[in-house]
This record gives sequence, structure tokens and C-alpha cells, in this order.
Amino acid sequence: MEVRSKKRSPGAAVAAGTLGALGVSVVRKLSDESLLAGLGSGDPDAAADFVQRFQRRVFGLTLSILRDRAAAEEAAQESFVRAWRHASTYDPRRGTVAGWLLTIARNVSINMLPTRRFDPIDPEVLLALEGRRSHEDRIEAQVVDSELLREPLARLPGDQRRALVLAAFYGFTAREISELDGVPLGTVKTRIRSAMLNLRSQLRVPDDR
Amino acid sequence: MTAEMGCEQVRELAPELALGIAEGEERDAALRHLSGCSGCRQLVSELSSVGDELLQLAPAHDPPVGFESRVLAGLTRPLRRRSIQPLARRWQWLAAAAAAVVLAATLGAGSVLLATAGDRRLAASYQAVLSQGRGAYFLAAPLQGPQDRAGTVFAYQGQPSWVMVTLQPSIQEEGRFQVQVVTRDGRYLFLGDAVLGGAKGTWGGQLPVDLSAVHELRFMGSDGRPAYTATFATANPWD
Repeated sequence: MEVRSKKRSPGAAVAAGTLGALGVSVVRKLSDESLLAGLGSGDPDAAADFVQRFQRRVFGLTLSILRDRAAAEEAAQESFVRAWRHASTYDPRRGTVAGWLLTIARNVSINMLPTRRFDPIDPEVLLALEGRRSHEDRIEAQVVDSELLREPLARLPGDQRRALVLAAFYGFTAREISELDGVPLGTVKTRIRSAMLNLRSQLRVPDDR
Repeated sequence: MTAEMGCEQVRELAPELALGIAEGEERDAALRHLSGCSGCRQLVSELSSVGDELLQLAPAHDPPVGFESRVLAGLTRPLRRRSIQPLARRWQWLAAAAAAVVLAATLGAGSVLLATAGDRRLAASYQAVLSQGRGAYFLAAPLQGPQDRAGTVFAYQGQPSWVMVTLQPSIQEEGRFQVQVVTRDGRYLFLGDAVLGGAKGTWGGQLPVDLSAVHELRFMGSDGRPAYTATFATANPWD
């Protein structure tokens, strides 16, 4: 695949960042699913647009997990390669493209962690790093549903939130969290379950999922 | 193998299944239950959506300068690896073989070319077969029965991708199975029904995913347990 890197002029970048303006880029006009399909079929324009659309979120996640910019870049690159290689396995009934891609990025990052006994970043810090996104970023990232989770997540009891973030972001099993935090396994399982069921009730889940 | 799980137990484990952190036999038993329970599958699916959305709460960061270009450049290498590089590797191999011939002649030992001629013919034949169907590669894995090897699974990455199972003639008892694919990301996909054993020594089916996504092929018996399994340790031989 002959690929291109999109080099936009500063003016174009400004236009691309202004929703509704005449300069809204083509990237905004195609759905995530369409871009992924184009990436999978080897369309160089779609590949460039796909990377441009998701690179900040993918790199942000790999950096959050790995806490090393070089390793995070390597993981983010590998995530896009895997997305391209496995684009045909994406099933829109199972979730969004962003969720699918970030799950790949999360798994790649976890596999790159040198040991499962590492000291993870404080989950509270991870989620407080950015806080609420701007309205424009929320539209760009199409993460309105996720923002619905931010406050409910913040309202969870601290021990539930910590267990959930360790599991969801760092791939810690209940047993590993139990050993890390020195609490009984059953307690950890209950914390994860309670947190997940609480957040599930906050999400609008389509009937056909 | 653990005892079968009921809905209540699976629902207890559903959050861990959805987050991909369930472990071992407990996970296997729950996944077996899910393959036949739409209600529990629905719950895990909804919880998986929660997990997906959570990942999107991670802070976005600008990647290093030039990241996009490096990613796009990197996409060309796997493509070559998948379709062109196997050919290139063969040419490199042939070049190496040719160099070996020169070396052998120089040394007065012309046996190298003769020794590798069979391999080269095989490689050329393999390449020709793949090119017929725009295929990328073949894999094969042993089909394991309850005690011993029961046969072989041949798998093909192409358009479409498929698997073909051959059972050892010594297995005379005929059985009916549901064929499942377990993907590398933990999904269970139904391929179809199969009758194997006795006079029916082969079964084939089309894969709904890339072969590289397939971790295991399972022939599930009427008791809901895998009677035969084949595990693909290698996702892609060119990786």
C-alpha cells in the first residue's frame, strides 16, 4: 500500500478544527466504520485519515499504561498495524471502532509491560490527568457516551474505582489486584462487579447489542 | 475440566469476562456456557461496551512529531510481508541457494544445488498454489482428541479463508459436532455442524475471520464439551 502522510497547512488545520466551517476536513465526513473499511482494503487515503483521527487517543492510552514515550509510540504504531491487519474482523454490533481500536492498544500495551508485578500509576491520577474534554474534542472524538461515564466513575467508592481501573486499563486479574492491594480475592471480584454494573446502568445500550 | 456453569455463576463472572481478565478453567467454563445462552451473552456484551467506553476516558496526547508518517510507512511492511515478502523471501532464498552453488563449485563440491533442488521445487509449487486463489499462506495443526492425536487441520488464508479437517481412519465412531472458532481476542464463532468419524473422515468450512485471528478450532460434542481441538500457535508464518 502506498501511503501518504497528510500535511495540512496551518490554515487548513484551523479550519479542520472548526466544526461547521467550510474547511471541515474530509476526515470528519466519513464515519469511523467507513475509514476502518478503507484502511482494511488498503486505501492509502483512508489509512492516513484513520491514523490522523485516532492517533491522539491511541497514543494517550498507550502512554497512560506504559508511562514511557518511546514504548508508548511503539505500542501505538503496533496498534495501528494490527487494526489494519485485522480490520475485517471488526463487528459493529460488538462496539464502536474507537472501543475496538483502543482495546487493541490496551492489549498491545499490556503485553509490552515488562512484568505483571509493576507498580501501576495511581488510577485516580490516570483519570484526573485530563478531566472533562472540551465540547469540540468530545465531538471530534465521538466519545459522548464515554463522558457519560466520567462522573459516575468519579462517584464510585474509591476501592471500587481503583479495582475497575486496574482491570480495565492495566489488565490486572482479580487475583493480581488481590495480591497487589492485599485484600481478599472475593472482595476484589465484588468491587469489580459492583462498579461495572453501576456504570452499565449509566450507559444507553442499544437493543440489538 | 471444571464443572459446567449455570447462568448465576456466569453472571457473577460476566464483568471479568467483559474486561478480558477472567482466568483459566473458570473462564473456559463460562465461555462454554455463553456459546449456548443468549441471555448471558447479552449481559457480557453490554458490560463489554462499558469496558470499551472506559478506555475512551484515558487522556488523549499528541504523539511525537512524525508519528503519523512512521505509522503509515509501517503499514507498507506488513503488506509486503503478507503478499509480497513471501515471494521476496523465496527469491532471497533462491539467491542464497545460487550463491551456495557458486561456493560449492568453487570448493569443488557441487552437491549444494542438488541437495536443495527438492526444496526449491516445493517452494515454487507452494507459491503457485497460493497464487491461484490470491492466498497468503497455509497453516496446519494437529487435531487433538481426548487422549491422542485424532487428525490434522489444514487452514488457508485467502479469499475466502477456510479450514479442512482430516480424521485418522482408526476413529470409527461417528459423531455429530458443532464447530467453533475461538479467536485470539476471545470470541467464540460458530462455523457449522459436522459429522466426523467412520466413513466421514473429512470436514471443511469457510472462516468468517482472517486465519491470523483464529486461535483454536473446536468440535463440540452433544455434551457441550470439545471432543476435538486444534490450536494454531502461529498467527501468521510471515510474522
